[in-house]
Amino acid sequence: MPLFNMKCDELIPERGKHIYVHDPENPVVPACNIKTIPGDMTERGCAFAGARGVIGGPIADIIAMVHAPVGCAWYTWGTRRNLSDLHTWALPGRLSNVAFNRRYCMVTDMQERDVVFGGAKKLQASCLEAFRLFPEARGLIIFTTCTTGLIGDDVKAVARQVEKEVGKPVFTSESPGCSGVSQSKGHHDFNIQFYQQVNALRARRPELKMQDEEKTPCDICLIGEYNMDWDLAAIRPLFERIGVRIAAVFSGNERIENLIKMLDVKLNVVHCQRSAEYIAKMIQDGFDTPFVRVSLYGIGQTSDALRQTAAFFGLEERAEQVIAEETARVEKALAFYRARLAGKRIAVYVGGPRVWHWIRLLEELDMEVVAGACTFAHEDDYQKINDRVKGQVLIIDSPNEFEIEEMLDTLKPDLFLTGMKEKYLGRKMGIPTVNSHSYEKGPYEGFAGMVNFARDIYQGIYAPAWRFQHGLPAKREEAPPCA
Amino acid sequence: MRLNEIPVDGVPYDRLKIDQIPASPAYAPRDPELVPAAGRTLVINPDRICMPIGAMWAVLGVHRAIPFVQGAQGCTTYARYTFSRIFKEPATIATASFHEDAAVFGGRRNLIEGLRNLVVRYWPEVIGIATTCSSEIMGDDLVSFVKEARVKIGEEIGAEKMDRIAMVIINTPSFAGSHVDGYDRASKAFIETLATGRDNPDRRVNIIPGLLYPGDIREIRHLLEEMEIEATVLFDISDTLDAPLAPPQEIPYYPPGGTTLQEIRGMGNALATFALQPAAGASGARSLERRLGVPAVVGPTPVGVDATDALLQNLSRITGREIPSSLKIERGRLIDAMADTFHHTMMKRVAIFGDPDTVTGVARFVCELGMTPVAVTPGTRTKTFEQEMDGIFAGYRELFLDAPRVFNGGDLFEFEEYLKTLPRLDLIIGNSKGIDISRELEVPLVRVGFPIYDRFGYQKRPIVGYRGAELLLYEIVNAILDFRYPDDRTQQL
Repeated sequence: MPLFNMKCDELIPERGKHIYVHDPENPVVPACNIKTIPGDMTERGCAFAGARGVIGGPIADIIAMVHAPVGCAWYTWGTRRNLSDLHTWALPGRLSNVAFNRRYCMVTDMQERDVVFGGAKKLQASCLEAFRLFPEARGLIIFTTCTTGLIGDDVKAVARQVEKEVGKPVFTSESPGCSGVSQSKGHHDFNIQFYQQVNALRARRPELKMQDEEKTPCDICLIGEYNMDWDLAAIRPLFERIGVRIAAVFSGNERIENLIKMLDVKLNVVHCQRSAEYIAKMIQDGFDTPFVRVSLYGIGQTSDALRQTAAFFGLEERAEQVIAEETARVEKALAFYRARLAGKRIAVYVGGPRVWHWIRLLEELDMEVVAGACTFAHEDDYQKINDRVKGQVLIIDSPNEFEIEEMLDTLKPDLFLTGMKEKYLGRKMGIPTVNSHSYEKGPYEGFAGMVNFARDIYQGIYAPAWRFQHGLPAKREEAPPCA
Repeated sequence: MRLNEIPVDGVPYDRLKIDQIPASPAYAPRDPELVPAAGRTLVINPDRICMPIGAMWAVLGVHRAIPFVQGAQGCTTYARYTFSRIFKEPATIATASFHEDAAVFGGRRNLIEGLRNLVVRYWPEVIGIATTCSSEIMGDDLVSFVKEARVKIGEEIGAEKMDRIAMVIINTPSFAGSHVDGYDRASKAFIETLATGRDNPDRRVNIIPGLLYPGDIREIRHLLEEMEIEATVLFDISDTLDAPLAPPQEIPYYPPGGTTLQEIRGMGNALATFALQPAAGASGARSLERRLGVPAVVGPTPVGVDATDALLQNLSRITGREIPSSLKIERGRLIDAMADTFHHTMMKRVAIFGDPDTVTGVARFVCELGMTPVAVTPGTRTKTFEQEMDGIFAGYRELFLDAPRVFNGGDLFEFEEYLKTLPRLDLIIGNSKGIDISRELEVPLVRVGFPIYDRFGYQKRPIVGYRGAELLLYEIVNAILDFRYPDDRTQQL
């Protein structure tokens, strides 16, 4: 069946362009990455969330200066699980409890008078104070929001001024929440603005480029990897063991120094191809650095990623060895889960690419994807989904809450992979859910992560709580209590 | 991760060895000139959120009500995310989905279309419309937009059906106030829009709980039931944000419970309005007093003996109901617990932070326990905070080890840097944002107030009333025992 409209959408017919049941004979790409219908109960976030929360947030050693009223900053303070190992000192001899990028929330706290008279001065003072208070910070990124975007503060001028005074790189990320149709706009903005600003910075200060003696023949940059729940702990050693050096990660647990050098690598390996392929393309255009698209979820896809990377450097043999060893390490555990999860029907709703990243992974556990939905996917994501799904699968672009409910109600999947907001909705309907954005107990990437993922799915489906969900039985079968 | 074989339980956190890399070679104290919040422009670690989320909280406590946020999608999504993190519940909130065109032309079209799409699919009984930074900066004229929307939607669904849906406009520009003020404004907006008459005075009382959790509201209801007082709890999240898992659910999902529209309309008939948290809800109570002559009783937050006594005495005075022996027994049990534990609470130094009325409530109670509140800070500045603190401390100063330091309107960075200078601190009471400082200082954290997202169940456990105080007391004393006492000293407590 091609595009169709759901029952709950009878009165908003535009939604019919976003929903389809995949037909391998006649694949369609839905309307996507377009404006949300007001009041439709969308699950989408804003461009600021994409820039600050997703890409800017994981950078380990910079000050994330949110130029906004207090709320936007509070919401992005230590929420998304983009972990890091760079800790500031709490007291003599004691490091802070969580990493620097999650420990402090810095905001210009725009008040009414600033809205009227402009906030540039306040921003400049705040940036200078932040550098004085946190001399360990290696740079700063100014994030604008609706308020500061609408009043039109010249944040670039402030950034230049602060950089001049402090001598550390200061970047701007201008993605007000009301720009674009979803968080995807913020990803795109950040990619473009960061690339341009890094280039300009390197022109001003060539000493910040990767020097020849630092370079190795096998330098790569891992792009679109945000170190959710320490995914990098599962991934980085794999690349190192095949003899590749990850010179930079964009942007999970990365130091700004390495991000400035990311333009000097030999190959870019792109994981999240929605939020960060833009920068890989710009680097390809500007520096002739090729990139490969990979998926780091699941055994088959992680193996392919290692093979693709190794092939570029002629390290195929070592890759095969690592893949064989790693596969053997997780074999037993995965067999345990495969036996218990085979045949289970799964609905997947995440931001975009994870839907197609996970189709193969779920197949590896012999599970079936019965529905997929993406908050901010673009055409290419749906093409990738269509290439990967088997059989009749319901696909929804930018689903709203009601559609999710109807999807769960009609398909009754055994498990719903989704985010924080929808997780408890699914559970209220008696459908187990696993947090697929920040994970339940990650990492989920790579070989070892696959076991964690399978474990969390297994715990979801087999939790005894579900046995009791249908209410107190009217009568109890008579049975001796200690039989 | 250096395991030869990955076991079935995967890679638990304790096996995942992550190094901690220092960001600088050695500890250097923070620039003392910039530590006080008053000495800098920058705000670091604010203990407050923006107004709209407070308004959304309020609307979620109304039966079949949906908040509609006139702003960008993040303003809604982040708030829903926050509610889900705290309550482990879904929170249905609509957004006007501002994109660039709205930023240029204003939010009229988004509001009208948005309300229409919400009404025809969800059929809510009440819609609480909260504004945001962007709609306020653009100067959206909500009153006329809503009028226009009502006519338009009425044409589609019938004016009669439209009339049954109440709409309340709450102006909550995020560049002023905090979530506490957002809730306060919602109380006023709901009462002014919906409670319009005092035509049929009854014996009920109104309760505006403020930013209290479901467990607290249930405890308040328990006190009222024991006193045989019927009450309207305005913004009753006790069921809406603590709903049972009971499939099959009808779709779209509406949680059970919440204050009904009829109850809110009748608030003008009540004997009195009790605003339990002066900063969150008093505006509603005072407005009702001014307009319809329903007396307002504002505060104190009923945490601890004295404040709970005050609530019950006020209720008794206004309704003429006796305080029953059952509540006197509860009170007696609390006093008994205080008498059993004072060796472990007296002369202990405690720091308290959170929303203003949570802090005043808890501060009063720790004084009753013989503790010294060495530092207190409300995340949201209030005009009366210092004065209230003075009043609370007055009766206990002779028991204090040190003079309390009262902050008003600083941020948590200032607060934690101050705590780091203290020679001794036994306990921190506050929300989940205190965990870092608790770990770093090796001082236990007792979780109280909004938000608590890093542990389960706190939203269900009351701190108000005698029973709530008793539970809070055990949290406090056990936290101290866990941290400070060797096990062989706790064999006879």
